[in-house]
Amino acid sequence: MRLTSDALNLDLSSVESRIKRFIRDYVKKSGANGVVLGVSGGVDSSTTAAIAALALGGHAVLGIALPEEETYSVADVQHAKLVARKFGFELETVDISPILTSYFHSLPVYDVADKLSKGNLKARTRMVCLYYYANRLSKLVCGSSDKSETMIGYFTKWGDAAADIAPVMDLYKTQVRQLAVHIGVPKGIATKPSTPALWPGHLAEEELGIKYETLDLILFGLEHFMTTEDIAKQMNLPVEFVDEIKKRWLANEHKRRPPLTTKLGYRTVGSDFRLPYTSR
Amino acid sequence: MALAQLSCKVGDKEHNLNAMKRNIRQAKQKDANLVVFPELALTGYTCRDLVYELAEPIPEGLSIRRLEEVTKKEDIHVVFGMLERSERARAALYNTAVLLGPSGFIGKYRKTHLPTHSAFEEKRYFRLGYQAPVFETNIGRLGLIICYDVFFPEITRLLRLKGSQLIVCISASPAVRREFFETLTVARAIENTAYLVYVNLVGVEDGLQFWGGSRIVAPNGKIISQAKYDEEDLATGRIDYTDLERTETFVPTLRDLRPELFDLLKEQAENL
Repeated sequence: MRLTSDALNLDLSSVESRIKRFIRDYVKKSGANGVVLGVSGGVDSSTTAAIAALALGGHAVLGIALPEEETYSVADVQHAKLVARKFGFELETVDISPILTSYFHSLPVYDVADKLSKGNLKARTRMVCLYYYANRLSKLVCGSSDKSETMIGYFTKWGDAAADIAPVMDLYKTQVRQLAVHIGVPKGIATKPSTPALWPGHLAEEELGIKYETLDLILFGLEHFMTTEDIAKQMNLPVEFVDEIKKRWLANEHKRRPPLTTKLGYRTVGSDFRLPYTSR
Repeated sequence: MALAQLSCKVGDKEHNLNAMKRNIRQAKQKDANLVVFPELALTGYTCRDLVYELAEPIPEGLSIRRLEEVTKKEDIHVVFGMLERSERARAALYNTAVLLGPSGFIGKYRKTHLPTHSAFEEKRYFRLGYQAPVFETNIGRLGLIICYDVFFPEITRLLRLKGSQLIVCISASPAVRREFFETLTVARAIENTAYLVYVNLVGVEDGLQFWGGSRIVAPNGKIISQAKYDEEDLATGRIDYTDLERTETFVPTLRDLRPELFDLLKEQAENL
């Protein structure tokens, strides 16, 4: 197997129809009347919102922009509005700054210098808002996590990854960009640098120290059971660098699973209680 | 014959049974003598731990009785998949294909190759089948296989050597494997000079999307009939067993078999 960018090419028409069928099927079986999504104006959430609107019709999709003053970006808000207009779904804006302020005032251990804890609180506050809308409107929360970020754990536990369905979670970031262009998400959104927007000037590739084009191929190799030596050799990278990515992938399993317990009973939730998704 | 590719409701036998009955009646209206349903059509494929409560003994189970009433009334043959429970060991379950006819139960085949890799976990739940029966009926000599069995030429070869003219392959194949099945169903028909009917599930279960594309393949590899992709369908097609002889003469694979190779295969497979 050759680790070149060709390895990540997709049959985009097929992927589009599979994702749309998945969304329609799950929403129908759940009895919900549509989905609510956080739309930041980035490529993942724009693409997920767009494909959800293509699958369900714009009337069944509610996008929510959840900006806050510290990371507010005029361009991102405009991008979110642009996608909503183009794909025909409603976009509501909820400024979460006052909610965050009240958290900061209420938490005795709050430390303004701890930007990671503060950033995670932002992501979890967005999740709380999305679930409130979902409950009120009988909709599902549709997540927009991609495979790259999910594999390396580059997300907030119970924050941005918390959702009822995650339609693009089996696509690497660079594949989401391909899908974005394919379904008509404006190119400026499809190709702009990713940001989790947890603090000012927060850029994903800068924080990760790697380009998504490189990361995705390393992860693709790991997905296909390649050794880090083989991956490093093919990609002309130091093996220690690839090992670090692998360690990060493995160390974050706790973020991807339900909470671990110790086995005491006959069948255990999250372990050998193996049930299917069934509709009522 | 009719290829009834259904989308099943996981764990809901009543719902699926009614859908099967409807399809049998519709197939009869289209003059079908045989209607084929997908693997585990009675329960859906991804039942996981629910298998223990959903499995039934064959042929004593209630679902068989209820379907027999329909095949008797409609004077038709039916092949479908269901979870089977052993009468003697209640935790011994099988992934089984059942053949019913105008007089009721004819026979069954228990899946021989159980996929337990990727998203599949069949060996966790099912016991392997050890028999490959051929059923003599007034619609021909039928051999049954199930899904992953089609990756193993030995089982279809065995059925053909035992006289099967028509291989019925019922399946629950997710979309990422479509090319494999489209190739292998043709290969099994050609290499054995036999008719092969393949019926796959459609719908989405636990994130798996079954692709449908059920088909009848002639012994020369031609597709006689093809159902839709990804949607429920009831496709029909006609087969003529007299074509078998013509194809066997043109490509006489059975005449040219080398039995001594089977001994070598066995020896090598045991020491893989």
